[in-house]
Amino acid sequence: MSDVGAERDRTGESGEVARLVAYVALFAVSAALFVEAAGLPVSRFERLGAGAFPMIVHGTLMALLLGAIVATMRRLPRAAYARFAADIRDWAVSRRLVFFLFACLGLYLAVMPVVGFAPATFVFLAVMQGVLAPKTPVAMGTALLLALLFSYGLNWLFAEVFNVFLPRGR
Amino acid sequence: MDAFLQGAAVVLSPETLIYMLVGSIAGIVAAAIPGFTVTMAIVLTLPLTFAMDPLQGIAVMLAVYVGGYTGGLISAALLGIPGTPSAVATTFDAFPMARRGEPGRALSIGVWASFLGTVISTAVLIVAAPPLAVFAVRLGPWEYFSLIVFALTIVASLVGHSATRGLIAALIGLAISTVGADPMMGQPRFDFGLEVLQAGLPFLVVLIGIFAISQLASEVEDAGAIRRGEKVVTGSIDFRVWDAMRDVVMRPVNLIRSSVVGVAIGALPGAGGSIANLVAYDQAKRASKTPETFGTGTPEGVVASESGNSATAGGGLIPLIALGIPGSAVDAILMASLMVHGISVGPRLIMDNADLVYGMFLAMVVSSLLMLVVCLTFMRAFLRVAEVPKWAIVPLVLVCCVVGSFALNNRVTDLYLLGAVGVLGYALRALDFPLAPLVLGVILGPIAETNLRRALMTDADWSLFFTRPVSLIFLVLAVLSIAWSVRAHMRARRKADDRKEPA
Repeated sequence: MSDVGAERDRTGESGEVARLVAYVALFAVSAALFVEAAGLPVSRFERLGAGAFPMIVHGTLMALLLGAIVATMRRLPRAAYARFAADIRDWAVSRRLVFFLFACLGLYLAVMPVVGFAPATFVFLAVMQGVLAPKTPVAMGTALLLALLFSYGLNWLFAEVFNVFLPRGR
Repeated sequence: MDAFLQGAAVVLSPETLIYMLVGSIAGIVAAAIPGFTVTMAIVLTLPLTFAMDPLQGIAVMLAVYVGGYTGGLISAALLGIPGTPSAVATTFDAFPMARRGEPGRALSIGVWASFLGTVISTAVLIVAAPPLAVFAVRLGPWEYFSLIVFALTIVASLVGHSATRGLIAALIGLAISTVGADPMMGQPRFDFGLEVLQAGLPFLVVLIGIFAISQLASEVEDAGAIRRGEKVVTGSIDFRVWDAMRDVVMRPVNLIRSSVVGVAIGALPGAGGSIANLVAYDQAKRASKTPETFGTGTPEGVVASESGNSATAGGGLIPLIALGIPGSAVDAILMASLMVHGISVGPRLIMDNADLVYGMFLAMVVSSLLMLVVCLTFMRAFLRVAEVPKWAIVPLVLVCCVVGSFALNNRVTDLYLLGAVGVLGYALRALDFPLAPLVLGVILGPIAETNLRRALMTDADWSLFFTRPVSLIFLVLAVLSIAWSVRAHMRARRKADDRKEPA
């Protein structure tokens, strides 16, 4: 097998380990919700109570997850688990901009109700575009202009034209 | 006739036509940008339709929908990158045609094929939807529950690389739909005392988070490409509008066959344009006298793919209008738009709101005409807009998603949900879980639960799900769809193993 093929197989195995972790986590959450659903009160007016449908869903989900866990564990060689930690680190480093995007989005959504839509959006857009754009005066100028247009401009459009008031801050 | 005239009065009013024109342009431009799907374009349009009349709003969204299917053709033909999943087969021939110096011809043939495919699918929709709705009214809760089981299994088995992951995604969607008050008695479930969960998870917020946020996040994975701010489209393009029309019309068998394939696949819940274009292309190649020319830039391939994927637009509306079951994520958003206006979607839609349904039929035809006019007139200008770099578009569309989610209920807690669902969507995408089954699970969950509980309140006998013929047919089809998918995946894996061994 070529080096490229072997590398692809290793990456595929790390993906399988990541999925195995996800299956186990989902199984744990699903089992907890199954127990929670079983504790929901039953109505005297109907055969099935509020907990019956969630129990069917989580029961089926747990059965499928269990099958997937067993199949994945049978397929994976032991060495794949050892390589997983290093591969996941490389994966996270290569996707640092994705983590940056989610961090900015989280902060933006948390701050918006406090400072209002327009200033929060302006800062969010200016920072995001400032980081992502090529570092040239034209790109930076365009980024600032777009940030202004899509923060204060959008706020005005929704308030004045659609009568929808975006968060105004405290 | 009165209902048709009422619908026509709304759709053909100057105000609606202007909105539809803008929608058509927005759909074409959005789908022309690689990585931006028709679904995302429709999601972003939705909040803008809240202030409109229901039919006006849905007409605008249909214009975006039809425009979006055509927009995917632009990057497929010029770059070999399908702008949307429904344009994958278009790259097989339109791209080689463009590379050998005929980009204008490739685009024009695609535009005409899309237009005619949409018109044919609308004709089938008009003929098929009303009788199907009359049949659907006679279905009981047993049949509806089984139909939803079938819809979810077929989505799960057709989309993605693994039937198991598809089914898990569908069940996660169903599980999400159980958060909040139960749909029959209002009993609170799984809210853990948190205000953010008490009203349940609004499916539009889930839809925006799962599809749009996760897609935007995956667009910034390649840091180098983003920072270079590369241009997407370069070079001059020469259109030969009437030659291209002749190219399409002179292939009537291919055109009609591909459109019928598109309608049939679009009418199956969960299938849609991403599969239709590949099946239509495959059928055209099998029927061709010169199959060896496929993949080298033959007009036959472009006609098959583009008419096939555009015809799913009409096909997808058949189960939505007749049964109240959205066949795809885009149809789900159209359904949401009607629900936001207080219109209940189901088999009685066509009886209670005939003006709306006839208006939708007419809006489909008008949308395809607008798409044709817009494409033939402004194609060069669109190509300039498609040059907008990702560093600008990704943050701007993120802001549009936030505005759309907030404007739905004016609830700040929905924004926190949006962020959380976006992270979940990205994680599932990174783990290669298909997202469409999850979203359909969220939408169909309450309908499935209501019908299951109603069926057992009417008669406590579970065996009725298997003894009522229509219900049994749906359940058998559900089992067959999973079996077929498992077999197809096992064959694909065996082939991959065989290829690996000789190396």
